[in-house]
Amino acid sequence: MGRVKPLHQMLVVMRKELKDSLRDRRALFSIAFSIVVGPVLIGIMMNRIADRQRESESVEIPVVGQQHAPAFVDWLRQQAGVSVIAGPQRPEQAVRDRLHDVVIVITDDYAEKFRSSRPATVRIVADTSRNAARPTLERVRRLMQRYSAEIGALRLIARGVSPAGVTPLKLEEIEISTAQQRAAQVLSFIPMFIILAAFVGGMSIATDSTAGERERGSLESLLVNPAPRMAIVAGKCIAAAFIAMTAVVLTTTLSANIPRFLPLQDMGIRFRIGRGEFLGVLAAMLPMCLFSASLQAAVSTLARSFKEAQSYMGVLVLLPMLPGMISAVSTIGQEPWMYLVPVLGQHVLVMGVLGGRPEEWWAFVTAGLIAALSAALLIRTMTTLFKIERIVFGR
Amino acid sequence: MIRVEGLRKRFGAVQAVDNVGFEAADGAITGILGPNGAGKTTTLRMLYGVMKPDAGRIHVDDVDGVATPQRAQERLGVLPDGFGLYPRLTAREHIRYFGELQGISGERLRDRTEELLRMLDMGAIADRRTGGFSHGERTKVAIARALVHGPRNVLLDEPTNGLDVMSTRAVRKIVRGLRESGHCVVFSSHVMQEVSALCDAIVVIAHGRVVARGTPDELRKQTGHDNLEDAFVALAGVELMTEDQWAE
Repeated sequence: MGRVKPLHQMLVVMRKELKDSLRDRRALFSIAFSIVVGPVLIGIMMNRIADRQRESESVEIPVVGQQHAPAFVDWLRQQAGVSVIAGPQRPEQAVRDRLHDVVIVITDDYAEKFRSSRPATVRIVADTSRNAARPTLERVRRLMQRYSAEIGALRLIARGVSPAGVTPLKLEEIEISTAQQRAAQVLSFIPMFIILAAFVGGMSIATDSTAGERERGSLESLLVNPAPRMAIVAGKCIAAAFIAMTAVVLTTTLSANIPRFLPLQDMGIRFRIGRGEFLGVLAAMLPMCLFSASLQAAVSTLARSFKEAQSYMGVLVLLPMLPGMISAVSTIGQEPWMYLVPVLGQHVLVMGVLGGRPEEWWAFVTAGLIAALSAALLIRTMTTLFKIERIVFGR
Repeated sequence: MIRVEGLRKRFGAVQAVDNVGFEAADGAITGILGPNGAGKTTTLRMLYGVMKPDAGRIHVDDVDGVATPQRAQERLGVLPDGFGLYPRLTAREHIRYFGELQGISGERLRDRTEELLRMLDMGAIADRRTGGFSHGERTKVAIARALVHGPRNVLLDEPTNGLDVMSTRAVRKIVRGLRESGHCVVFSSHVMQEVSALCDAIVVIAHGRVVARGTPDELRKQTGHDNLEDAFVALAGVELMTEDQWAE
């Protein structure tokens, strides 16, 4: 019999592992879930931000005691996007019950005090612990401060004093829309979800083809075939990496289509994953899949049982979350050394691509090479492990 | 043809295999008989190249099994002890997978697969996933994939262990068929009746050592016991299970 080529044997193992895992419905379901969950979560969060912004743009203000201050109410009505409605009987209860975000209460002595140029009391009833009510409260407060300032200026003019004299500071607010910021923050989760898809995608096949194969007792039969251990190990790792890559491509595709379903333009948010960004994400991520899959397979090989391997996988899945979590607390800079750390390097690269400031080509090449080299090293280590009798036959 | 000389293997403080040697001829069934833990499986594992012997020599036909285990594996068909299958693959896919790993492809692999399915009477289960197979059906699949590359030498480690009577008979038929077509078959078992009924030559192993070898008749003469069971007990110094006990 002629010698069999190791490369061919590697492909045979890879094909079998792919076929085998594509028939594993439970694993497929968890992979599909991990692909969909990120983009869907981001979509839901973006939608809520958009809704809230739309709400605060056109605001309905319930006012109690409108008869005491007809001029003020008229002024309010003239403001863009503001409509005044009748206030509830019990303002505080209404806010507590979340019937209204904010209620304005004009006190009974308003007219009398106003006429005599003494401060007239207007109450703003709101619950500041409610994040959702905050933009409306902010809006109402600004409106009332403006009215107060306008009336004050008019009174000074009536007394022959220039209002400029009592305005030592001229405040200029440059507004950076909070909605936009929040949206940008939400979008910054996308790199994490893409990396997560790679880890979850490769997970089941990496454990099933190593610890699972040993536990089923099929590993010994497999090793009786005249194939170098390296070919068998590489076939398994590449099969896992292939599924991880598929998960990455699908997650990126879904993320690229987020703007289709969301009115991002209306919110003034620039978010686009066009062809260039798509290819940039894949250029950063695909080599990492080789690393993540090999890491998972190597760790599973070391595990004493299939169950133990699965619990290790749970810990490994936290790895892609780390850069995302750290960047949520403090901004991750883009230091050159980061490209030398697998996963972290890819996180930085994907952030750059999606943020519209892609890194130089050498950063992609460096991070890719490091990931591929680490994968090769892991495959070599696994090959050695597969020669250790204690590991092949279980302990 | 398989020749083993001075094979040794130690696990920590336990000398699992201690100077085992025997020869298994073509066209014959050689039985390795011994109680559980005697070193049968370890001996066979070294033979089929998944364990490295501490010392000793292995020849499979004219290939050195210690220096070039993969070349020896090309000439061996192996049913390991406690083998496992892939529950999501069909019987046919199991045979094809091992065939491809052995370097067979295309029409040759297709023909060989059909031949094995026919030979092992597996037509009805060929395209079913092995997840729901009975132990007998699983054994057939494991034997079929071990024979896919048409090896001259066949190693079966306790192939009838845990099988019902019908399946045991089927396996014995397969083993006899292999002998008739000139294969060298090595068959391990702890069931004496089975070995004496099936084998042309017997190697008795106990405590990692070969305590006797020869034809069933020679063993009877050697020990002075007419009854084979008594002969084995005398040889091994251990109670071997009889088939009746084992069936319980």
